[in-house]
Parts: sequence; structure tokens; C-alpha cells
Amino acid sequence: MERQRSEGSQTIDISIDVPGDISSTPENPKICAGVACNLSNSTAATRERDTSMKKLSMAIVLCIVFMAVEVVGGLEANSLAILTDAAHLLSDVAAFAISLFSLWASGWEATPRQSYGFFRIEILGALVSIQLIWLLTGILIYEAVQRLIYESGEVKGVLMFAVAAFGLVVNIVMAILLGHDHGHSHGHGHGHGHSHEHGREHDHDHADEHDHDVHEHDHDGITVTTHHHGHNQSPKDASEPLLKKSKEKKKRNINVHSAYLHVLGDSIQSVGVMIGGAVIWYKPEWKIIDLVCTLIFSVIVLITTIKMLRDILEVLMESTPREIDATKLEEGLCQLEGVVAVHELHIWAITVGKVLLACHVTITQDANADVVLDKVIGYIKREFNISHVTIQIERQ
Amino acid sequence: MQEKKDAMFSYQFPDGDRRLAFSRQSSFRHSHWDPPLPSPSSTPIPLMPRSHSFKPHLARSDSAVGLPLLDNSGHKDATWVALILAPVRGVANGSRPMKRLALMISLNVAYSMVELLLGLFTGRVGLVSDAFHLTFGCGILTFSLFAMGISRKKPDETYTYGYKRLEVLAAFTNALFLLFLSFSLAVEALHAFMQDESEHKHYLIVSAVTNLLVNLLGVWFFRSYARVNIVYWKPEDMNYHSVCLHVLADSIRSAGLILASWFLTLGVENAEVLCLGIVSVAVFMLVLPLFKATGSILLQIAPSNIHPSAFNKCSRQIASLEEVLEVSQARFWELVPGYSIGSLSVQVKKGVHEDRILQHVNGLYNDLGIQDLTVQIDYE
Repeated sequence: MERQRSEGSQTIDISIDVPGDISSTPENPKICAGVACNLSNSTAATRERDTSMKKLSMAIVLCIVFMAVEVVGGLEANSLAILTDAAHLLSDVAAFAISLFSLWASGWEATPRQSYGFFRIEILGALVSIQLIWLLTGILIYEAVQRLIYESGEVKGVLMFAVAAFGLVVNIVMAILLGHDHGHSHGHGHGHGHSHEHGREHDHDHADEHDHDVHEHDHDGITVTTHHHGHNQSPKDASEPLLKKSKEKKKRNINVHSAYLHVLGDSIQSVGVMIGGAVIWYKPEWKIIDLVCTLIFSVIVLITTIKMLRDILEVLMESTPREIDATKLEEGLCQLEGVVAVHELHIWAITVGKVLLACHVTITQDANADVVLDKVIGYIKREFNISHVTIQIERQ
Repeated sequence: MQEKKDAMFSYQFPDGDRRLAFSRQSSFRHSHWDPPLPSPSSTPIPLMPRSHSFKPHLARSDSAVGLPLLDNSGHKDATWVALILAPVRGVANGSRPMKRLALMISLNVAYSMVELLLGLFTGRVGLVSDAFHLTFGCGILTFSLFAMGISRKKPDETYTYGYKRLEVLAAFTNALFLLFLSFSLAVEALHAFMQDESEHKHYLIVSAVTNLLVNLLGVWFFRSYARVNIVYWKPEDMNYHSVCLHVLADSIRSAGLILASWFLTLGVENAEVLCLGIVSVAVFMLVLPLFKATGSILLQIAPSNIHPSAFNKCSRQIASLEEVLEVSQARFWELVPGYSIGSLSVQVKKGVHEDRILQHVNGLYNDLGIQDLTVQIDYE
């Protein structure tokens, strides 16, 4: 990735992420370096992305294998139920493919047309994934209704149960595969700007020694100890144990998370279909239980997607990220020396964890614009860990 | 509106002539985008482009969705709940397209309910599946309606850019749904091809005809948006376009089903496969430009109505000023069609007064069409 950095775009001035370079910028933190770390890719993010991509690829291969098995079995037994389950597995493959593509795309370098990089693609990918989940839930409900209508008793409870059990096993295997390293590189999220995980704006694979335990969701009083600024790239083994003990259980990579949601939803529905199949097997006349079960479990699946949908919506609407208190930020800025007022404050996120800020600051007539700019940028970086800021200084 | 068009004429447009076709649509425009007002501060710099000030056309009050403002935590969940509780009032006060959309949705819902009940009682699976499909589509249309209603709210603390983005999002969801529809039609065609037995579901004809009529009514309501490629001037354009395409696609599908049934009675083989395949391809081609346009806004691609060379030109013009050392980090994106935002960083020599530079830069980019620009001046 470092190779490609030099072939950057004309308008973006991304400084090269080599050792020692960034350490020279604490006194001039306004220019590119802050941006480079947040919006471009460092080694840590690349590493984490590769891990996630490998996991997703494995999941896809596994899925395809299972799907092939089911298709063959279904054609042999001439059973529609098995073929339908194979189609569900196909949808799983589609969801994983979307996540994989989004992951890969987020590593592309920014272009003049796409000046913020390609990180948004993963949000859209997650949205498409969730729409797929909803679509499949709808189809499943439709199938349950269809089973209800076909009174002819074509439905064999045993078959339903067996197929759903197989699907459940497959889904559990994949859930473990996708979610197993909770404390691993996933504590990183996307590696950079997770403002509630890391107290640093530059490289993040090393810097969390101190702040890990004190760093909750608010950023009061967390100061950046300057000696970390010089550390650009720490050796990998020093960072691994830190990551492993990370306590962030959520905010894993959004792509892997959406694939995981998909698998989870499928497992829940498999459980529902299993219960329905068991009921029909046991008492073929209680067909309505099947529909009721499916409805209940579909609602459960939809509920699991709501949280992620909220996050996606928040980003796509360019709203202030939940973890940042805009009022506090504004008040804090106004208290700085020389600042009269702050207006046109906009805080928004490119993707979950990468936050940008733009505002206009009015200063007194005789204040030194440079000094005030430094202070403002430093304050924002310190307190709220937003590294890409654009401040327009105006005089009264 | 006219000044904007004049300003745009000096730049190259891929489909420049189509814009004129919209000059007669002023009756549909109910309000132009009100840029978020700067808080009252005595800044001498005209940051809001006066030449492009959009005056609200709406005679009724702008924020006609009279929602009780909750505690201004701006917390999203509470806001959504309160909004859902006041849909009827919102629609009643809404604009004409909103009312028409609400009418269409209620027609569709009523029809699909009838179909569902009929299908359940008579045991006809075809009716039930059609009802499901209609319901799904109605849900998406309701989201569009919802977006129309909410988008008029003023920007608040959490949504500093306002709610207009929701219209783009609704258009995107519509486009996505249509893509799924096209894909599912293709699957259905494949299914019919493999099964090789054409089931003459003649009772579905009645349902298809009714569906076609209702959807054609919808197309008539939104007839000015019944095209594939539209230049979007306002966020509502995208939403209306997406609704129109949705209804259009649905009517094409119903027409396809009717045609297939007729061909089958004529004895044409594989009529179902053929018709479904054609409909699937048609819907796909129909929706792709909308999908790309909404996707590019959501992905924060640079404003599409401004040629990239214009950005370079502006950049060079600024860099050629003698006090300016360099221009960096110029990023631009579109919030909604018609409102572009940008930020850039200018390095100047020490001691230069920033007002002049700010004014100059702002003026340059405002002419380009960037309404909201934040310029960071760094002294070397």
C-alpha cells in the first residue's frame, strides 16, 4: 500500500507515512499528516483488512461447498425444501461477497472525484446487505404462508427439520469463523479514528498502552502524552498483546459485522423452521404454529439488524456521530483564548469511526490567527480525537 | 434558478440541453433548498452566495410538518417515534406530490389486503405472492413518503446539514428494490424455463390488470419524471424520480404478465420466459442511472454537475495569487442535488490578512456552484 501512496491525486496532499516524518508535525499539526492518518491507510489498517478479507474468503468458500452439497442432495431427493435452503445459502454467499468487496474497496486510494477515499462503500455495502436480510425474511414468511396454504400435506415435517438442522450447523460454523477473534485485531475496528477506542490520532497499533483502560466513550480530560507522537511504527509483536487484551467488544469491522449479522439471522430462522418442522412432524394438523413461529423468529432477526441500521443511517445522513457531544465541543472552543464565537459547526463521519469536522471560528480583532488556529485544532484533537478538521478563522 | 443556469452554461455538460425541458415544471417545485443559515455573527464575509439564494416558493409555512419538538437532545429514536405518530397531519399539510403519493400508497395497500385475504381463503398461492410483492413495494413507497415529510425539518444539532439527505436515501432504497425486483424476475424467468410447464394462472390476470391500472395512475401523477435520465436540481427530484420509476417498473411487470398470458393462450411457447426476461432487462436498464446517481451522492463523490477541470482551474487560480503558497486538501461533495459542500486548505505567507483571501476563494467557488465552503488558512 505504501507504494501506491506516491501516485496520489493532484489535489490531495497526503504525506508519506514513513518513520520520523510524522513525529515532526506536532508543532504543525494542521496540515496533511493528520489527514493522512485518518483517511488513508496505515500498515495496521491494511493488516487488519487482510485478516478480515481472509476470513470472509474462507467463509465464502465454505458456503459454496455446503451449497453444492445441498444442491446435489436436493436434486437427488427431488425436494424443494432442500433447494430452497441452498438458495438461502446462496444469499449468504452474496452477503459475504458484498462485504468482501467493500473491504477491498476501502483500501483504494482517494481520487479527485472521490476525494475522501472509498470508505463509504462499506456503509453502502452494509446497507445492501441488510436489505438482503429483510428481503429474505420476507421470502421466508411468504414460504411459511405458502406451506399453510398447501393443505395437501405435501410438507413433510421430518424433511423440514433435517434441512433446517443442517443449515443451522453450517451457520454456526460460519458464525464462529467470522466472529471468533473478538479480542483480536477486531478491537481495532477500522484502525484509526474510532474516537472511543483510541486516544491517538496517528498510528494506533501501539499507542494504547495507557489509555486503554481509562478510555471510555467520553473524552473528558484525556490528554495525549506527547512522547507517543514520535512513535510511528512500532514493531508488530509489541502491538499484538495489546490488541488481544482489548476490551472493546463491539465496533468490529462493519463489513465483517454485517456478514456476521446475516449468518446470525439465518441461524435464528433455521431454529424457527426447525421448531415448525418438529411441530408439523409431531402433529401435522397444527400447521398454523409453523407460521406463528416463523413470524416470531423473523421479527427477532429484524430486531438484530436495527442497531446496525441506525449506525448506517447516522453516517449516511451526515449527522453528528453519537459519541461526540457537539455542544460540549462548541462550549470548549468558545472558552479558548481569542475565540469569540463558533458557528457553522459540522461534524460528520465518513464511515463508522472516521470523523471529520468543519467550522467557522470568529476571533477578536487583535488575536493571532495562527496561534488560535493551532489551539483550536489541538483542542479538538486532544479532547475529541477528531484529526481531520477544517477551521475557517474570521475576524470580528 | 435562472442565474444558476446561466452560471452553469460556461461549463461543459454531458446532457446540457435536457435542463431546458424542466423550465415548465415550476408548478411542481414547492420549495428550494434553504441553506443552513449562519448564526448571527457580524462577519463581513458573504459566505452565503447571494446570487444563488433560493427563495422558498412554498406559500404555506416551510416546516409544515408541525411536529412537537421534543427535548432537544436530538436523539434519533425519540424523533422517529414522534414523527411516525403524526403522519396524517403531515400528509394533509404536505405538498401535492406528497398527497398523490399517499393516495397511491393507500390504494395499493387496500388492494393488496384484498388480494391477500382472497388468496388465503381460496388457497391460491399466486394471489398471495402478488400481495406480498405489493406490500413490499408499498413499504418502500411509504419510506419515500416519510422522507418527503421529514426533509422539510430545519437542521438541528444532531443533523447539522438538515434532513434533505433522507430523500436521496429513499431514492436509493427505491432503486435498490427495483434492482432486486429485476433480479427476482430474472430468477422467475429461469425457473419457468427450467420447469417447462406453463401454468395457466388465469385468475392472476384480473390482479395484473388492476395492478397495471393503479400503477399507471401513479405514473400519470408523476409523469414529468417518467424518464430514465434526469438532471437533478433538487433533492425532491430524486425522490419523485425514484417513485415514478418504481410505479413504472411495476406497471411494466404487470403488462408483461398480461402479455405472457395472452401469448400462452395464442400458443406461443416459452412466452412466460420471454416476457419475464424482457421485463427484467427493461427494469434493470430503467433503474441503473438513478442507482448510480443516488449512489454517487451517498458515496460523497465530487459534484457531478461540475466538471473536474473546473475544480483544477479554481485551484490554480488561487495558487496563482501572490500571497498564496499552495492549495491543498480540496475536497468537495454533494449533500443533495443542488447543494455542494467543500473544504480546502490554503497556505499563505506570514502576515497576510485573511479577509481578502477568504473573499476571493469563496467567490471563486461560489461561482462554481459550491454553496458551503470552509477554508482553512495556514500561515507558513
